[in-house]
Amino acid sequence: MALKREIYRALEDVVGPDNISEELAVLHSYAWVGMAQGVETKDLPEGKETRFIRFARRFEAVTLPKDTAEVQAIVKLCNRNGIKFKAFSTGFIGGNVPATEGVILLDLRRINRILEINERNMYAVVEPYVISAQLQSELMKRGLNCNIIGGGSQTSALPLAAHWGLGHMGQSMSGGERNLLAVEWVTPEGEIVRTGSLGSLGEWFCGDGPGPSLRGIIRGSITPMGGMGVYTKAATKVYHWPGPSTFPTEGVSPHYAPREIPPGFMIRYFSFPSMARLGEAMRQVGESEIAFELMGFPASMIAANMATSNQEELETSERLRKQVQGPGFIIIIVGNSPREFEYKKRVLQQIIDETNGKSLKIMEDHKTGGAQLWRFVRITASIRETFRATGDHSGIFPGHNAFAPVVKLAQKVAQVKAELQRKGLLLDDGADAFPWTEEHGFLSHAEVLFRLSASRESLEGVQYLREESAKLALKEPAGVPFSVYGDRLHDLFGPSTSNYHLWLRKIKKAFDPNGASDSNGYITTK
Amino acid sequence: MSLKDYKQNMDLCCRCSYCKFISLEMVKGYKHVNVCPSIARYNFHAYSGGGRINMAVGMLENRFDYTDKLLEVVYNCQMCGGCDISCKYVMDMEVLEPINEFRIKCVEEGHTVPALDGVIKGMREKGAMMPAANSKRSQWAEGMGVKDFTKQRSRVIYHAGCRTSYDKEMWKVARGTLNLLQKADVDFGIAGERESCCGGRAYEMGYKSDFLRQAEYNMELFKRSGAEIVITGCSDCYYAFKVLYDKFGMKGGLEVLHTTEYLDRLIKEKKLNPTKTVTAKITYHDPCHLGRLGESYIHWEGKEIPGHIRIFDPPKEFRRGTYGVYEAPREILKSIPGLKLVEMDRRKEYTWCCGAGGGVKETNPDFAKWTAKERIEEARSAGAKAMVTACPGCEGNFRNALEEDGDSFKVYDVVELLEQAI
Amino acid sequence: MIKDNLVRIVGANNVIQDQGSLDTYSRDISFVNSVRPECVVKPRSAEDIQKIIKLANESLTPLVPVSSGPPHFRGDTVPSLGGALIVDLSSMKKIIRVDRQNRVVMCEPGVTFDELITAVEKEGLRLNMPLLPRKSKSVVGSLLEREPVIMPGYHWDIADPLSCVEVIFGTGDVFRTGAAAGPGTIEDQWAAGGPQSEAAGPSQASLHRVVQGAQGTMGIVTWASMRCEVLPRVEEPFLVGSPDLGKVLELVHWLIRLRLVNECFVVNNCNLAAIMARKWPGSYQRLKDILPPWVLFFNIAGYEHLPEERVSYRTKDMMEITQSVGLLPERALAEISAYELLDTVQRPCGEPYWKLRYKGASHDIFFITIYDKLPELIGAMYDMAREASYPSSDMGVYLQPIVQGTNCHCEFNFFYDRKDPRESAQIKGLSAGAIMNLIRKGAFFSRPYGENTKAIINRDATTANALAKVKSIFDPNNIMNPGKLCF
Repeated sequence: MALKREIYRALEDVVGPDNISEELAVLHSYAWVGMAQGVETKDLPEGKETRFIRFARRFEAVTLPKDTAEVQAIVKLCNRNGIKFKAFSTGFIGGNVPATEGVILLDLRRINRILEINERNMYAVVEPYVISAQLQSELMKRGLNCNIIGGGSQTSALPLAAHWGLGHMGQSMSGGERNLLAVEWVTPEGEIVRTGSLGSLGEWFCGDGPGPSLRGIIRGSITPMGGMGVYTKAATKVYHWPGPSTFPTEGVSPHYAPREIPPGFMIRYFSFPSMARLGEAMRQVGESEIAFELMGFPASMIAANMATSNQEELETSERLRKQVQGPGFIIIIVGNSPREFEYKKRVLQQIIDETNGKSLKIMEDHKTGGAQLWRFVRITASIRETFRATGDHSGIFPGHNAFAPVVKLAQKVAQVKAELQRKGLLLDDGADAFPWTEEHGFLSHAEVLFRLSASRESLEGVQYLREESAKLALKEPAGVPFSVYGDRLHDLFGPSTSNYHLWLRKIKKAFDPNGASDSNGYITTK
Repeated sequence: MSLKDYKQNMDLCCRCSYCKFISLEMVKGYKHVNVCPSIARYNFHAYSGGGRINMAVGMLENRFDYTDKLLEVVYNCQMCGGCDISCKYVMDMEVLEPINEFRIKCVEEGHTVPALDGVIKGMREKGAMMPAANSKRSQWAEGMGVKDFTKQRSRVIYHAGCRTSYDKEMWKVARGTLNLLQKADVDFGIAGERESCCGGRAYEMGYKSDFLRQAEYNMELFKRSGAEIVITGCSDCYYAFKVLYDKFGMKGGLEVLHTTEYLDRLIKEKKLNPTKTVTAKITYHDPCHLGRLGESYIHWEGKEIPGHIRIFDPPKEFRRGTYGVYEAPREILKSIPGLKLVEMDRRKEYTWCCGAGGGVKETNPDFAKWTAKERIEEARSAGAKAMVTACPGCEGNFRNALEEDGDSFKVYDVVELLEQAI
Repeated sequence: MIKDNLVRIVGANNVIQDQGSLDTYSRDISFVNSVRPECVVKPRSAEDIQKIIKLANESLTPLVPVSSGPPHFRGDTVPSLGGALIVDLSSMKKIIRVDRQNRVVMCEPGVTFDELITAVEKEGLRLNMPLLPRKSKSVVGSLLEREPVIMPGYHWDIADPLSCVEVIFGTGDVFRTGAAAGPGTIEDQWAAGGPQSEAAGPSQASLHRVVQGAQGTMGIVTWASMRCEVLPRVEEPFLVGSPDLGKVLELVHWLIRLRLVNECFVVNNCNLAAIMARKWPGSYQRLKDILPPWVLFFNIAGYEHLPEERVSYRTKDMMEITQSVGLLPERALAEISAYELLDTVQRPCGEPYWKLRYKGASHDIFFITIYDKLPELIGAMYDMAREASYPSSDMGVYLQPIVQGTNCHCEFNFFYDRKDPRESAQIKGLSAGAIMNLIRKGAFFSRPYGENTKAIINRDATTANALAKVKSIFDPNNIMNPGKLCF
């Protein structure tokens, strides 16, 4: 269903002819889904091997607005003409597919400035297409750093862009929901709401009030993924960085490594005899506040992160799996002073001794460890752990909660996964559930990743795993999983979760009365 | 392999956008983070490496037809390989090759761009990819007294290339090269009027059969000369001889070196000795086809092993830009007394393209100049007073961009500065 | 009629209509107009509250929730409209659960700081508290007000230390926020090891943020969970005095940025004297005179692992910073021992409440800002005080870095005798005139109270509209504390 010409011309008037396209080839590039889970098996042609069916529903047209005013104009135009729209920034995973035909895409690539870095008051203000690598680099020059989501530093630095906004450095730098300060928000109706101090004073330091906080409406543990208008600017908390202004990385791709590990930095990988011991170690590390980064990872994922090819990953994984005694974590210690560094190392050793942790030798090596350290600060190699293996991957993402329930749920999901692996429907990735903690152990998250093979059966296995995981999550009181979005799943989880779905619908109705903001990743008013 | 043979490979794209940016580990600030000039300029995802692959799959699945706009997207790409190298930091997949195959498919199915048809016509008629060329090919070498290897055997062949032969501004580089080779007492020759286009750019534009024809002609010429080594100062030619000819099984045992590799060798062998001071603060621009695309072709035949993560029997190596020619030009520059080399933010395997490649200079000169200007700004911001590079395509494009703005920023070839120092 | 229904819900003992009691709720120390409630009802449980709200919806009766005991200061517990019911939650005093493993405690609205501190201490935990809350202050009330807390290093988000709440919205629907929402009952979650620690969610909204700062206009909270910190094994407090606020703020910035300290706040001599003076009025005046204009208080702590070493290295690191800034940390300042102050601020305030000690009343003007703007804002407030003939030496200033140093709570305390009509009028006029001037200089009144609220909220019409939409969702009949904020 092509756009009416007068609508197309009106959009063209807003962004200019060079910044709008309804060319089919261009639209198909936007219809590409990075994860095969974006395509329902019922949509697969019969008898066809998947490998993978990548095209989901197309947008009707793509626009490239350059600023908030153009975003607002597009949104208002859509509202006036009964057209749906969706916005995204880098568009990686989750929510980059429209729910219906006829949706206009706002690709926010041109809205890409760092507006402010306030060193004294520890926040930065970014537009949606500032990628985290850019923000982190600029911050590091100023002795600061920021959270980067697990998807990698090629994704948006806006704490509202990602699906949820957690990352490797959450132990000391928290995540998107918590780091968010003031926001400039183009609502689904095209109003520009500036939250907190931004609306009152034009300043970015606070996103809450006056009175109740609208932050509670614009996102929860996960974001609305395009279903609540467009976030055009946001301020994010930043944190201290005692490291060098640029990391001393050398070499040629893909073999980067620092010539030295900067003073005051240490990376280790410890494995434990059981998840309980790992959990205890994580609890103590959290309470002692010694870790800059603390991430649970199976040895196979470490191998994947280090290896520069699948072949190398296989060999490395086999080697590393023999050197670990059970589940493990990566820990990065950073000292703001030499004294602090020494203290943290001593405490770490005490904790490891008490919890029977075993250090992985390869991580103690200066070159390998140093390379790993920088990859885990700049978050450059998540794709190696996830997509390189087969070109697709997926995961079940229990929510954010205390350690015990989250791990319990994740381990049950892992059992279902193991069953599918035994049947040959999923590949053996050597990975159990892996947990990590945030904010010095106060919050936890766990994931179960899995690798699909290029077959319809495998994709069906994934669908089965998702359904089973949802059933398990409904029975295990571990919170609403991050993978719950869209009407069907909200309706499934809502009734046993304080009927939150009903409130979400009311919020949607109040702020998007015309249903203009595409809700594939959110909820509809039904 | 044709485009459809790359379908499984292309299906691997996970939409991560690495293809748009330089190596993330090397990002040092807000600026200079893009590696792909195409999406940096045009912004739609379709213009990125990943987007092109996504479109190619769509084309194979007959989801849309050829249109002028599609061709515009396809041909607004310098084929610089930045996307390929960035992707291969994390993935085991080809990006540039299927992008190239997409162009070949366009040409084979009769969907071409007039500007490029004109360039290819020139190559077919005159063996030169310079439509406006009106001088003799070997005019640049007049008076140099150099051997014609088509008539006399030479150990080393110097191939000037179209962009050097037909651009008077580049003649000093070619002549300088010959001077240096003569000073080092190298037994070398040129093909004179019989030199013909390497065909590399024709391949990248999608004209595969024209490329193969040029390759056949050139390899015949080289074989008959008995030469062991062919050197060239043009990065496109270097890529054609070293990589593409090998890809199609034509290179044989011929050693292909860029002028900078060979001159660096001569310096290390003490056959050339830079002693005169050349005072300048310069930066070096890595040409795409010398650097990240300049590593040897890897022949592989085998199959994917089922039931595993994607591994192959026999194990498959990917060209990830690791072994491109980065150091030789730098070594030469460092050996010149008085020269201060500063590095740009985007360099080596994550260099920013000069803008001239892939037919863009011919089909969209504005885009080519825009790309060049981005690079010139980057050179300035590195503190350099001049840019040095090792490719006539790059030099020509930078020069055009500077002339358009009346900018006095200087561009040199490595050879020019070395010649001054000898 | 209403009374009869209320008696049926909560029992006769819990419905109060005597004039004396109603008078108590009809006014507070703020300058809001006095409005007498219809009656006071004391629910015993969430079920009671839900029935009350249902009744209020049927009869369109305004409800004003109150958790803390008197005296009240902000005007939010005084009805704005006639015919209101005070829903006094101060009898709901259950400490529901203390979870050492996950560092979370859960309690009902009537629980005070003293009561909760005692309970969590038994488990080796402590609260991140506001500065010297009054004895009758409800912990849940404090959390819902987003009161600033004195350990900024543990204040990751402005909503902290609040985790989850169970709220009965103005519609009468029960809702639990964050992890408490489910799946499963609270008991199910406990059985699975889940302590209601995650505040965000469930899923794509974080409604605890909407309930916080709402002054009871969205619903009534029946319990809250909050994050706790581990009780230190070793503590070393310090005082830094200086006339140079800029230097003090520089030091504060680094102490928090490097996460060296637990408790950390700045008060002026006036406030510190009010807090620490033991004999009134003599020692108060003397302390004011001998204390430096600005006093920074901070505390360095050690926990389970190598606590002395932790304190030792942090103290040394701290000393290096103070030296580079040009300040001197001390154990005592003008007869005030840092240990004594530490002890004082780790508990609620003794009687009488410190803000009332000088003249019997205090009017507070407070807002959030950033370090850079503080000197100008403080200067402006002193100027305005002078213009209003308020003695600047009597004005208290309290600066509390929050959100790990991203924001700073700035509070001016004007002590006055409310029995003196001249002084009351002076403070009232000063307050009304100060707000806009302060806003222009960078004060963000994130928690507006009293008569200036509408002016503050109306500065941004789109935010006000958005808040109105939120209100229409959770309290469509506007029975919850109507007349507050912009509702």
